[in-house]
Amino acid sequence: MPKPTNITFFSINMKNVLQWNPPEGLHGIELTYTVQYFIYGQKKWLSKSECRQINRTYCDLSTETSDYEHQYYAKVKAIWEANCSEWAETERFYPLLETQIGPPEVALAASEKSISIVLTAPEKWKRNPEDPTVSMQQIYSSLNYNISVYNTKSKRMWSQFVTNHTLVLSWLEPNTLYCVTVESFVPGLPGHTQPSQQCVSTLKDQTSTLKVK
Amino acid sequence: EFHFGPCHVEGVALLELWKAFGAMKDIVVTQDKIMSVRLLKQEVFQNVSDAESCYLAHELLKFYLHTVFKDYYHKVVEFKIMKSFSTLANNLFVIMSKLQPRQENETVSIRESAHRRFLLFWSAFKQLNTEAALTKAFGEVDILLTWMGKFYRH
Repeated sequence: MPKPTNITFFSINMKNVLQWNPPEGLHGIELTYTVQYFIYGQKKWLSKSECRQINRTYCDLSTETSDYEHQYYAKVKAIWEANCSEWAETERFYPLLETQIGPPEVALAASEKSISIVLTAPEKWKRNPEDPTVSMQQIYSSLNYNISVYNTKSKRMWSQFVTNHTLVLSWLEPNTLYCVTVESFVPGLPGHTQPSQQCVSTLKDQTSTLKVK
Repeated sequence: EFHFGPCHVEGVALLELWKAFGAMKDIVVTQDKIMSVRLLKQEVFQNVSDAESCYLAHELLKFYLHTVFKDYYHKVVEFKIMKSFSTLANNLFVIMSKLQPRQENETVSIRESAHRRFLLFWSAFKQLNTEAALTKAFGEVDILLTWMGKFYRH
């Protein structure tokens, strides 16, 4: 019986989900799967009861892999009636390095000639909603941001590198739509992040409206 | 640049080291069949003080360059990863040579503390046969770079 394929961890903000594809050539057959995981440097494979003989092709191992300084392996096998496949195993998974840092929360407030930007780092995955919130900033203390600003009227774009959470863009054109793209990154880590984009319009120039009256 | 406590190292882009290791990681780590042993355990790096970090970084890098990289080179040729390997090795050599840990008397206790951490790694390395130990140590460069990254300033 062939093994499941493409077994990998999909990880964002430390939510670590193991996913795989069904074995090739067995479409339409009612398969179940069993998952185990291994903490690198420890002694044996461990089971997760919620992922024993399941129909779906994913298993949330966030709780089991929550110590992000550890490294992990996981494996899955397919079962059909009395038959079961060999185990299909992941590469060594390192959450601290491989989790994707989600897009930051971006709050924009515009006046006539300026836009103030307030950034909030995404939250780390948590087991229960009532658990205390941990920011990804607490895990990656040097989390920085690259802010790109696009003037939709002049089609001009410029970027700025920010280490803290607020930035005020000044000397802007009134009554103009600006789009702000924010990408977080950690200097010295090859991580991948997801950018976030928002647009806001500066207010009309009040002085010119007064003259018209 | 790196700030290992009092030791500052400029002119090395950590991202280049990551790219070099990333290009080799899959080939190298899959060679490591001993999942139940981790050489760079968490205890090696737990609560390393800034003052200790220079000594520990220097000792680890010296071992990696003079032992792991030197004796693993035949595998590097076999796997045809010489370019990435030399980028990684040369950059680590630059860091090591710029680290000048002070040797005065008042640093004895800090040096000894850093050396005890190194011995945790080294004793685990010695318990494996040479080939397996070299493969495992090389595969754990991501753990080493992750720790070094904590002392990296953009």
